[in-house]
Amino acid sequence: FRYTRNLVDSGNGKFNLMILCWGEGHGSSIHDHTDSHCFMKILQGNLKETLFEWPEKKGNGEMTRKSERVLRENQCAYINDSIGLHRVENISHTETAVSLHLYSPPFDTCNTFDQRTGHKHKVTMTFYSQYGERTVC
Amino acid sequence: LPAGLSQWFPALEVLDVSGTGLAEMGAELLSLPCLHTLLAKNNRLGGPGSLPKGLGQAPLARSLRVLNLSGNRFAEVPPALLQLRGLRSLSLGGNRLHSIPPDIQELRSLEFLYLGGNFITSIPPELAKLPSLKYLVLCDNKIQSIPPQLAQLHSLRSLSLHNNLLTYLPREILNLVHLEELSLRGNPLVVRFVRDLTYNPPSLQELAGRTIKTRNVPYAPSDLPETLVRYLSLASNCPNPKCGGVYFDSCVRQIKFVDFCGKYRLPLMHYLCSPECSSPFSSASQSSTSQSSTSQSESDSEDEASVAAHRMQKVLLG
Repeated sequence: FRYTRNLVDSGNGKFNLMILCWGEGHGSSIHDHTDSHCFMKILQGNLKETLFEWPEKKGNGEMTRKSERVLRENQCAYINDSIGLHRVENISHTETAVSLHLYSPPFDTCNTFDQRTGHKHKVTMTFYSQYGERTVC
Repeated sequence: LPAGLSQWFPALEVLDVSGTGLAEMGAELLSLPCLHTLLAKNNRLGGPGSLPKGLGQAPLARSLRVLNLSGNRFAEVPPALLQLRGLRSLSLGGNRLHSIPPDIQELRSLEFLYLGGNFITSIPPELAKLPSLKYLVLCDNKIQSIPPQLAQLHSLRSLSLHNNLLTYLPREILNLVHLEELSLRGNPLVVRFVRDLTYNPPSLQELAGRTIKTRNVPYAPSDLPETLVRYLSLASNCPNPKCGGVYFDSCVRQIKFVDFCGKYRLPLMHYLCSPECSSPFSSASQSSTSQSSTSQSESDSEDEASVAAHRMQKVLLG
């Protein structure tokens, strides 16, 4: 019912390599990357990436959009917390999308942001499957 | 579709004709008795002849489970489609729909309905009569309000409403006990307390109707004209638990914010039978005499709302 995160390799604790599967219309929240490097490659379909500025300390207004782009098949993107925050979405109503993500060092919590207010909320990220086995929670 | 399809492939179960430029699908479909999945996305379907005549009487009407017509040119849901009684999954994403027909309720087996990326402006309450609907996608449309009846979709687990024109939600949305995902980003949801919206004083008919209902005045169809009997059957209960009154057309609309698990504040629309009724909810009411009772009933309603809100686990406002 929403995009799935499927762990493929954990590189002896140095990184997480995972495949994300996006159904039609699926999108992520605006999130940060917990001081890690994040690489993304589109394996199938297209994904729209919208970059946001970090909200002000006690921000209480709409978050500022920096830029947006549509990443096509085989294109790569990189982000880290010093670059900003982003939202990734499959805006197609007819095609699914698949992306490969590399996070180094690995992290399992991040902050999600409410676009209307800039308020952040820490969340724990879960996997739909790991090494091909469905993760039951 | 090639003529003789059903003669060559009588056991066909899955047919994918997506991205072929198809403008119409004809009688060749009708004699495929085993077909359960038909994928015809990204074509030029939408005009007359898109679906074959006599679809309702064909074996297909009972065998078809999955139909994907996304990325076509449908300006309305073709009536023939509503005869596919066995349909479990329907996608009409990325078409040109301006409305959802009330007869959508005919698709009794529907579990998955994707209508994202159209020009839909409102949702018919009849959509709530689909007993098995689990996954409803209405994102990227022009929807301004959600009918409170949608709370009757007891099986609903995922509701996608992002990128529409919603300013508030009906409070009944808290009744969707099994809802696990709700996406609301990209809607102009009100973020500040909105003063009471215009209140039209009740008509004499309304006042008489309220009295009959709240005092349980007995009446039989032979006592009243049919129009008034019908009018009396449309009474709505005031949600204020301390009131117990009813209203017909004249009600106070008030927006109340509900915190979801301490994360997001969602504006929910409450319909109350009179401005006096709304005062327990209004954070602006400062009557010194009723100070304690005001905060009592306000916290009661807050509790009721926050318990329901905690049931919704993954609210995706983003």
